Amino acid sequence: MAENGEEKLIAVARHIAKTLGQTDTMADDILQIFSNFDARLREKLSEKLGDEDPRGSAGLEQTLKSLDRQITRYVAADHPIWSDSADSSAFLDGVDELLAVIRDWTPMSSEKPVAACLERADDLLQQAMFRLEDEFRSLMEKGGESFDLIRYQNGELAADYSFDSEDDEDEDSEMIGNGEDNQIPVAHPISDYDIIIDALPSGTINDLHKIANRMVAAGYGKECSHAYSSGRREFLEESLSRLGLQKLSIEEVQKMPWSDLEDEIERWIKAVNVALRILFPSERRLCDRVFFGFSSAADLSFMEVCRGSTIQLLNFADAISIGSRAPERLFKVLDVFETVRDLMPEFDAVFSDQYCFFLRNESITIWKRLGEAIRGIFMELENLIHRDPAKAAVPGGGLHPITRYVMNYLRAACRSRQILEQVFVESIAPPGGSDYRKLDDRSMSSSSLSVQMAWIMELLESNLESKSRMYRDPALCSVFMMNNGRYIIQKVKDSELESLLGEDWIQKHSRKVRQYLVNYQRSSWNKVLGVLKLDNSSLASNVVTSEALKEKLKLFNTSFEEICKTQSTWVIFDEQFREELRISVVRNLSPAYCTFLGRLQTVPDIGKHLEKYISYYLKAAFVFARNPVAYITPMNLM
Amino acid sequence: MPSTDYQGVSASFSNFGRSILSIRRDQVHSMENTHEATRQEFELETFQRQVADRFNGLLPVGSDELLSLSWVRKLLDVFLCCQEEFRVIMFNNKEYMNRTPMDRLMSEFSERSVKALDVCNAIRDGIEQIRQWKKQLEIVLCALDNQRSLGEGQFRRAKKALIDLEIGMLDEKESNASLAHRNRSFGRNNVQKDHKSLGHFRSLSWSVSRAWSAARQLQAIGNNLAAPRGNEIIATNGLAVAVFTMSSVLLFVMWALVAAIPCQDRGLQTHFYIPRQFTWAAPILSLHERILEESKKRDRRNACGLLKEIHQIEKCARRMNELADSIQFPLTEEKEGDVRQRVQELVEVFKAVKDGLDPLERQLFCVLVFGPWYISFMLQSRLLSVVSIFGFWLLTEY
Repeated sequence: MAENGEEKLIAVARHIAKTLGQTDTMADDILQIFSNFDARLREKLSEKLGDEDPRGSAGLEQTLKSLDRQITRYVAADHPIWSDSADSSAFLDGVDELLAVIRDWTPMSSEKPVAACLERADDLLQQAMFRLEDEFRSLMEKGGESFDLIRYQNGELAADYSFDSEDDEDEDSEMIGNGEDNQIPVAHPISDYDIIIDALPSGTINDLHKIANRMVAAGYGKECSHAYSSGRREFLEESLSRLGLQKLSIEEVQKMPWSDLEDEIERWIKAVNVALRILFPSERRLCDRVFFGFSSAADLSFMEVCRGSTIQLLNFADAISIGSRAPERLFKVLDVFETVRDLMPEFDAVFSDQYCFFLRNESITIWKRLGEAIRGIFMELENLIHRDPAKAAVPGGGLHPITRYVMNYLRAACRSRQILEQVFVESIAPPGGSDYRKLDDRSMSSSSLSVQMAWIMELLESNLESKSRMYRDPALCSVFMMNNGRYIIQKVKDSELESLLGEDWIQKHSRKVRQYLVNYQRSSWNKVLGVLKLDNSSLASNVVTSEALKEKLKLFNTSFEEICKTQSTWVIFDEQFREELRISVVRNLSPAYCTFLGRLQTVPDIGKHLEKYISYYLKAAFVFARNPVAYITPMNLM
Repeated sequence: MPSTDYQGVSASFSNFGRSILSIRRDQVHSMENTHEATRQEFELETFQRQVADRFNGLLPVGSDELLSLSWVRKLLDVFLCCQEEFRVIMFNNKEYMNRTPMDRLMSEFSERSVKALDVCNAIRDGIEQIRQWKKQLEIVLCALDNQRSLGEGQFRRAKKALIDLEIGMLDEKESNASLAHRNRSFGRNNVQKDHKSLGHFRSLSWSVSRAWSAARQLQAIGNNLAAPRGNEIIATNGLAVAVFTMSSVLLFVMWALVAAIPCQDRGLQTHFYIPRQFTWAAPILSLHERILEESKKRDRRNACGLLKEIHQIEKCARRMNELADSIQFPLTEEKEGDVRQRVQELVEVFKAVKDGLDPLERQLFCVLVFGPWYISFMLQSRLLSVVSIFGFWLLTEY
């Protein structure tokens, strides 16, 4: 009431001054006189001197005054304003009104009294903003404390409450529009990670939004964004460290023992999935809700929140990508590559705005570099195969460890065939390409991986060939090549390599193995076969023949015995192959031997005592000619 | 005309770097009886000269330009160029990589490169730190620039940002500084704000753990870095000189980055042992000395980075702060003029930082992207020297 009276009094005083005073100075003088009547009037009136629009200006004055009272009360309050919803809405109403006044009067700021009022209004606004910033911070802090959301069970992340996978994004934005709704919506479901957490209670988010709204409108968006991002950044960093992720420098990663690094990679894969599929989208949503309607402030704040954690995550992948190329690391590097690849849509989605774009680009760079690392590992494998020295021959011409290693390695690697195909397609999908897993189409991409595999097989083969030269016995040399060649074909047929290398490759190599078999026969058994050969001229004389045949038989016996002795230490690695080999030797040998024996029987002095001349081995061999399983050419069992 | 250029230079033998190369040439020549310089020799000598030319190009700067953002960018350009030339030389001489002592030299170089990558990552964090300061400057400008009038409210707003800025910079200087120290610096104005603000200015360090130290990292890069001996030069066909050159460049550039830009546990005590006879030694040592002098200046001794722009931010912020403290309202015209002048200073610093940081970060990213080239290259050649490891591989399922 008193205020109202005062306002009227001032208006009247102004009116009198204006009407009486012909000039500004006269009006001023009159106002001066009025001012002297009452000290309360002095201040008010003196500010209004020279005003062109005394009524409006006075109105402004008045409004400001009441706003000042309304706002200052809260600015000075020593308890949190947001502890009482009536207080907070009254405070916000005051701020809104103040903002409206400033907005409405700013066009008139060239007028001195208005300018003076605006200055005071700005002053008041600044105080209100500082208070709002403080309230904003403490709301964030309190919200975070009371909402310790993420629980870990057996190292797995589980969000305990406040998520509901049935809601979707549309409802989200509607809800923010409504403002008062407390329902918590959820982002698009993502495979195993279809949870979005709300790290702050919904009520708090609404409060924060209301504050942010005013701060941005007042031009204090930077302060607000700063308060927001520093709080959330801490939360994110904490979350990552709770997932067991350490900050490791590249050097530390390089020096870490491989087994430890394997564990670290496991942890990283879990953490990066949680970060990209749950934490970042949750932060994005929180940010969008708090800064709803201010997309630029939202984008900037979100970038500030996620930048550090993202760089930390990417740095680790980067350290892996420039780490050792030792072939046994392939499988883990493949895991890292696959993880980043599978997360590319998430990187795209979550870092799509202008401020975050560099993070997305960085993730692509590092993803590509992981691909290079994988190619590097294969190159390393090639080098190792190529340069593996022929030190000592494997005893008995058996399987060389390199064959076993390389084949099992490739077989294991080909379980990740689809990734490898992607890696070996020369240019990975350019940035902006939407589907990172599109390379499923085998017909288009398998060729480079096929070429790669065929090349490694070729290197292996030529390395084995050089190793086979260690054997002085050409037959053993062939056995070695047979064994290893046979093993290679088996492993190829038994895996993805079969379709990668193709039917032609397998046939070609089966022919090669058969050729080694022929070579083996030739170089070891043909000499024996030669002994058994009967020339027609020797049939002419019985005497000569008898002696010659005896000689031949003796010779045959010794060479046979010798071969048996030598080959008894040789190795055929697989049973079926051993069988085939046995049959083939017998088939080769028995017809000539039977003919020879038949001939011997026709010679009178030998025929009678034939058994005397046929050695133990030959008896056995004879039996074996009819029943091949009973006896074997002296290949040992492995 | 590179060939004539080369002849002119090789005729002079005026320096150690080249005479080092000539040791090997004499050897080769005596055996091969040829006076024609090989392509490789040419390449190596050109490299020496180019490194020297490039660093000489960085020398003629006034002390106000040395360590400015634009100068640091030039330095990184020089580094990237040297790195690329070095890469080409190594690539052209792959066949030497697995021979002793080249394999050892390259593996040492690769370790240095890995260490340098971590420095670059830390420097990136430092750039981000400067960006945070830039944001506070932006608030100050928001408050005081382009306003209808400069009211008390605007000053309080600017003042708060300035205090946050100072805390941020101080926090970077001594991350373990006591609160008492902070209160001494800022206590006059806004004691109660200090405690609150501290939490929001924890130094941003994402790449490395808290224990990581730039000073130690630099020392590690410099460890055992010595000019190659005659027999090493001969055995490597002169490549050892190139490796030593590139290692020294790497060390110096990393050292200069650490000197300029905030990062965890800065320290500039790294020693440089570069024989003066190398053509590029003089400019590098001279730059080293000048930067070291800069770091010893009274007002820079405790700086969180010797970057000129950081110094300017500090200076402008302090002056603005003092001015803001001395101001009475209503503002006299004279004071307002002062404020406008200070604001103008701030605008200039702000612009310099705004325009310089992004390109610098991009360059750094280039270093990070192209750096790993050697490392993979080295790792491969290092592994190749392992005779046969197949025997140790346990991946043998039958």
